[in-house]
Amino acid sequence: MLWIKNVNLVDPTQGLSGVRDVVVRDGIISAIQERLQEQDVLAVLGTARIEEVQQIDGSGKYLFSGLIDVHVHLREPGQEDKEDIRSGSRAAVRGGFTSILAMANTSPVIDQRALVEFVRIQGQRAGMARVYPIAAVTKGFKGLELVEMMDMRDGGAVGFSDDGKGIQNAEMMRLALEYAKLTGCPIISHCEDNDLAGNGVMRRGEESARLGLRGIPASAESVMVARDVLLAGETGGKIHIAHVSTKESVQIIRAAKNIGIDVTAEVNPHHLLLTDKDVTLTGTSFKVNPPLPSMEDQEALLQGLADGTIDMLATDHAPHTWEEKAKPFAEAPFGINALETALAAVWQGLVVKGLLSPEQVVKLWSLNPARRFGLAGGTIQVGSAADMVLFDPLYKEMITAESLESKAQNTPFLGKEMQGFPVMTWVNGELLMENRKILDRK
Amino acid sequence: MKWKRKDLLDLENLTAEEIKHILHTAIPMKEILGRPIKKLPTLRGKSVVLLFYESSTRTRTSFENAAKILGADTTNFSVAQSSVNKGESLLDTAKTLQAMNVDLVIVRHSSSGSAEFLADILNAGVINGGDGQHAHPTQALLDYFTIQDHLGGFEGKKVVIVGDILHSRVARSNVVGLKKLGAEVTLVGPPTLLPPEMKYLGVKISHHLDQELPGADAVMALRLQLERQQSGLFPSIREYSKLYGLNKERIKLTGKDTIVMHPGPMNRGVEIASDLADSVQSVIEEQVTNGVAVRMALIYLLIGGGTVNVVD
Repeated sequence: MLWIKNVNLVDPTQGLSGVRDVVVRDGIISAIQERLQEQDVLAVLGTARIEEVQQIDGSGKYLFSGLIDVHVHLREPGQEDKEDIRSGSRAAVRGGFTSILAMANTSPVIDQRALVEFVRIQGQRAGMARVYPIAAVTKGFKGLELVEMMDMRDGGAVGFSDDGKGIQNAEMMRLALEYAKLTGCPIISHCEDNDLAGNGVMRRGEESARLGLRGIPASAESVMVARDVLLAGETGGKIHIAHVSTKESVQIIRAAKNIGIDVTAEVNPHHLLLTDKDVTLTGTSFKVNPPLPSMEDQEALLQGLADGTIDMLATDHAPHTWEEKAKPFAEAPFGINALETALAAVWQGLVVKGLLSPEQVVKLWSLNPARRFGLAGGTIQVGSAADMVLFDPLYKEMITAESLESKAQNTPFLGKEMQGFPVMTWVNGELLMENRKILDRK
Repeated sequence: MKWKRKDLLDLENLTAEEIKHILHTAIPMKEILGRPIKKLPTLRGKSVVLLFYESSTRTRTSFENAAKILGADTTNFSVAQSSVNKGESLLDTAKTLQAMNVDLVIVRHSSSGSAEFLADILNAGVINGGDGQHAHPTQALLDYFTIQDHLGGFEGKKVVIVGDILHSRVARSNVVGLKKLGAEVTLVGPPTLLPPEMKYLGVKISHHLDQELPGADAVMALRLQLERQQSGLFPSIREYSKLYGLNKERIKLTGKDTIVMHPGPMNRGVEIASDLADSVQSVIEEQVTNGVAVRMALIYLLIGGGTVNVVD
């Protein structure tokens, strides 16, 4: 039993943003009111003993519905040296995420129901964030045959994606969008034309030219975004565009929404906060796919967030071992480890600067993801499950390899001090993180 | 001037004064090269490792000669006969070299930034012998030495570099330093090999060689990697050669006694015709000689104690 007092509760579903007390009983939100008295709380909780109630002073802090990250790579099965479902879901909880969607580019690829169930069960065993599997679109990511979408949905998949690779064959994507209508789940498209991307390692432009690194033109993404929204329009399928990173992609998605195509889109914090100018020859933590955008692209992404063209934030958490990243830039793998730094990065880089409101953060990172993927959560209201985050905008922390729950440390923020962190995370009413530490179960 | 740097990774961070200091130090080195007995005791007891991940004849030999003339011991750590083939990472190779306590590592590698990667780890000095498409500072320095030798200086001199600029570390390094030295540089090539992003260099970009040749004091042809044609970057060697190949007739458009340069190895009949490559205007062989002198100067500056007057 839990009583959080005087906390700044932000819940866009109810249009609520103000100081409230929140009471939780048996994992369910039982009361939300201003300045509750002890006898009221005891009445709601049906107990006479105040000692049984954990009381938390929330003044100066925010209470958000638990963040939902629709794009994480947990690397299990097969690449447990980088991350596993346990370490990744612990990192999620430490970062304020109560639900995460695990991408299918593991080894083997998640292309059968048994594998979907494995991911789900491993998530339950870890007992941290809720882990929802994303299933592959095509068997073995080969882009040739569809997976058994209905069976996989029944096994727990909440979306389909060959993320990590773009589906090169347009007819394959058309068929996927058409067939997936049976499931009601969106296809998540990793938009990347392999021929245009070539062997590029960063965004093509003056910075790639300066560093002598092969460039990936913005068109490598945008041409496939255009293709996929057209196919979604034609088939009436549901498409979700992963990690939008170019101005042209934003323009295309905006136009597609205007003509009623069922498209949603996510953007990664690193694309909003870093640009190709931040890339250095030895900074492999800045190597990510899609690559860090130009300044102009970044402005378009922020505009897309502001006007609702982009529906959600997502980390694209992509852990890699230290050895894999300790290489010359072109040889290191793509990916940024993000679950434990993303909220702080967005807070200090966008909210503090007035580019995003706390209400928008909750909408973009909790409510909208829950709605698009049909998940529990995304709101704090009486009767809903208590997936919540207590966020302290003043909390400062130095990002170090030792402090991270993730197995990997490939974050551009390593060694930097950040401000604004979750200090408590509850999943289903259970406190799993307190004062930046995971609470291990007995 | 006292030399303070441990490494030479690119020319971005060097001042014009430092570049001139290297060129100045190379003058007595070139004199030594002309002697019948080419051996100095200056760097006796110093160990220089040549770590070449890409095939190279002239650059490796040039460095090796330069180090040996100065009296240093050289070791070739070439890929075919090393543990690199057994899958050792650049990081572990660097740690191995560190443990051997070598004094200087000269590295060539296909990845941009690999020289900087090594320099961050090693206490030893590092000279970049070419990293990916990023930089080839010693080639640029030997080109400057050659230009200075023939043109007397850089201020107001017009240098035209023609070819595959996009993929060329030679062009990048050359432009960076030439600008610092006050030369006027024009880059020429087809749009696919000289795309708009190369404007970051801040020099004139043109796709029409004949328009740029008038008034040129030095013209440098870059080696065309013939496999670029297969990847569609230009339609044929014939058309490339017709538009961008240097020959004796075309060079007359400069209206001057222009010097003709090439970093080698040449594709005769592609980017440069034999009649020009072997003419009196060609300084291509001098570039090779000057390469040894400039590399002697650099090795000396990096591990020889830093003053000029020790040389004899």
